[in-house]
Amino acid sequence: MEPIIEARHLSHTYVDGQNQEMTALKDINLSIMPGEFIAIIGTNGSGKSTLARHFNALLTPTEGKCLVGGLDTSVEANLWPVRQTVGMVFQNPDNQIVAAIVEEDVAFGLENIGVPGPEIRPRVEAALETVGMTAYAKHAPHRLSGGQKQRIAIAGVLALEPKCIVFDEPTAMLDPKGRKDIVETVLKLNKEKQITIIYITHKMEEAILADRIIAMNQGHIEMEGTPKEVFTQVDRIRKLGLECPLAAEVANALQKGGHKLPPILTHEELCQALCPSK
Amino acid sequence: MLTEITLGQYYPGESVVHHLDPRTKILGVLFYMVMVFLANSPLSYGLLIAFLIAATALAKLPPGLLLKSIKPLWIIILLTLVLHFFTDPGEVLWHWKVFTITKEGIIMGIKMSLRLVLLLLVSSLMTFTTSPIVLTDGIESLLRPFKRVGVPAHELAMMMTIALRFIPTLLEETDRIMKAQMSRGADFSSGNIVQRAKNLLPILIPLFISSFRRADELALAMEARCYHGGEGRTRMHELVYQKRDGAAAFILVLLFAVLVFLRWGMPA
Ligand SMILES: Nc1ncnc2c1ncn2[C@@H]1O[C@H](COP(=O)(O)OP(=O)(O)OP(=O)(O)O)[C@@H](O)[C@H]1O
Ligand SMILES: [Mg+2]
Repeated sequence: MEPIIEARHLSHTYVDGQNQEMTALKDINLSIMPGEFIAIIGTNGSGKSTLARHFNALLTPTEGKCLVGGLDTSVEANLWPVRQTVGMVFQNPDNQIVAAIVEEDVAFGLENIGVPGPEIRPRVEAALETVGMTAYAKHAPHRLSGGQKQRIAIAGVLALEPKCIVFDEPTAMLDPKGRKDIVETVLKLNKEKQITIIYITHKMEEAILADRIIAMNQGHIEMEGTPKEVFTQVDRIRKLGLECPLAAEVANALQKGGHKLPPILTHEELCQALCPSK
Repeated sequence: MLTEITLGQYYPGESVVHHLDPRTKILGVLFYMVMVFLANSPLSYGLLIAFLIAATALAKLPPGLLLKSIKPLWIIILLTLVLHFFTDPGEVLWHWKVFTITKEGIIMGIKMSLRLVLLLLVSSLMTFTTSPIVLTDGIESLLRPFKRVGVPAHELAMMMTIALRFIPTLLEETDRIMKAQMSRGADFSSGNIVQRAKNLLPILIPLFISSFRRADELALAMEARCYHGGEGRTRMHELVYQKRDGAAAFILVLLFAVLVFLRWGMPA
């Protein structure tokens, strides 16, 4: 199978107003297969957002290449196909909703790519249905809760029927209920619609849901593997300035104390390992 | 508080007038304004007023709602009336020291203030029965033919849409910043005008900074959703003229014909 996203020796250097150079990404090599659920973790400023913005050509590599569905994102003619293939959901739900009515906002992307008027409505309705916001089609976005706004933003991306969606800390501004709704929606998109997910987060409980975790540090990929492979290396994760899920930390401490335990990520697994009878 | 401010003065409803195409209403209002300046006899003014009353009744607006829209401008209306009363030359009806009232003055005063009132009422009728969002669609569609001569129809409409979307959000934010500054001892309600204006700075600066950040993020989000200006863009709701728009146009043209006849067609 062809990878849906491929980074080859990708580097990115920002040049700011005073001609100061800042290398945010260094020689990234990465392949993402269709249907994968990838979580990207890393401290502030480690380059997660910069990397994510290469995947739908909001940024282009200053060195190396980024291929989306086999198309080079640096080629001007590939811009719109690339952005239709990879959608993007941002952190602040308020600042990505354009229209003053929910359904008009969901239609925004479709109007941009010139879908004929009569075909737009069914796609808007389907997208709202998927995120469970059908009842709010005619509402004003500013009256909705943060979690609801974020689901509208997801619907707006979903309406374009992308093969892949990049989420850049979508739950950072939400309360626990809103966070749960978004995580459930993301899982649903991945499992039911086979949409490739790239999920940037600082919350390790969310990261462990992924098939593969990429841990970034100072512009390069420091660790890569399944959640088990990554989070059982508690000391290495700590050195990156990150935390492991609580259960993994407890298991690690117990292992250091001489207990024999299998690799552990979740509370359930920890309970199971400690009291097998339950 | 601040967030309770509603945008425009839309009065939701399901009447025929509400459902008229926004383009019909905009053009209709412009046409009506022309007619207001065409009218020159009591009968023609009577017809214009009758049309307005009929349209208001058809729109099922509560009586008095429309009259309220005169309120902000009542001083100007009164001033028009009084100035004409006392300054127009003509047949003197009443005289006291430097003050004279003439017959022509009275007629002109009433005519001018009536025109003002009619202009106000007819535009309010439109804004009461059309939501700002629909109005934006109408304006965009009407301006589209003028794109070739450089009118940025789509850009204007997009600006209005974003403004409508973000004004409530920014009001909320202003409220929050005000409360934050008040909790640090800021005082917005005392002092003279200069002091009060100065006191607003701690609100305006954070508001500006956050607006720029919002604009930046919004631009990125729009680009990510394939926005590239008005070219090749379609709309979910294409505006389509209905039979009722034809009917409205017919009535307006009829009114126009009668007014033209009353002005030029009648033997003096
Ligand atoms: N527009 C820009 N101009 C210059 N430097 C930038 C720009 N955007 C980001 N950077 C720098 O690039 C580095 C990586 O930033 P990036 O936003 O990708 O980090 P991040 O991992 O997403 O962090 P966070 O967790 O805070 O979102 C940072 O050091 C940042 O200061
Ligand atoms: Mg970031």
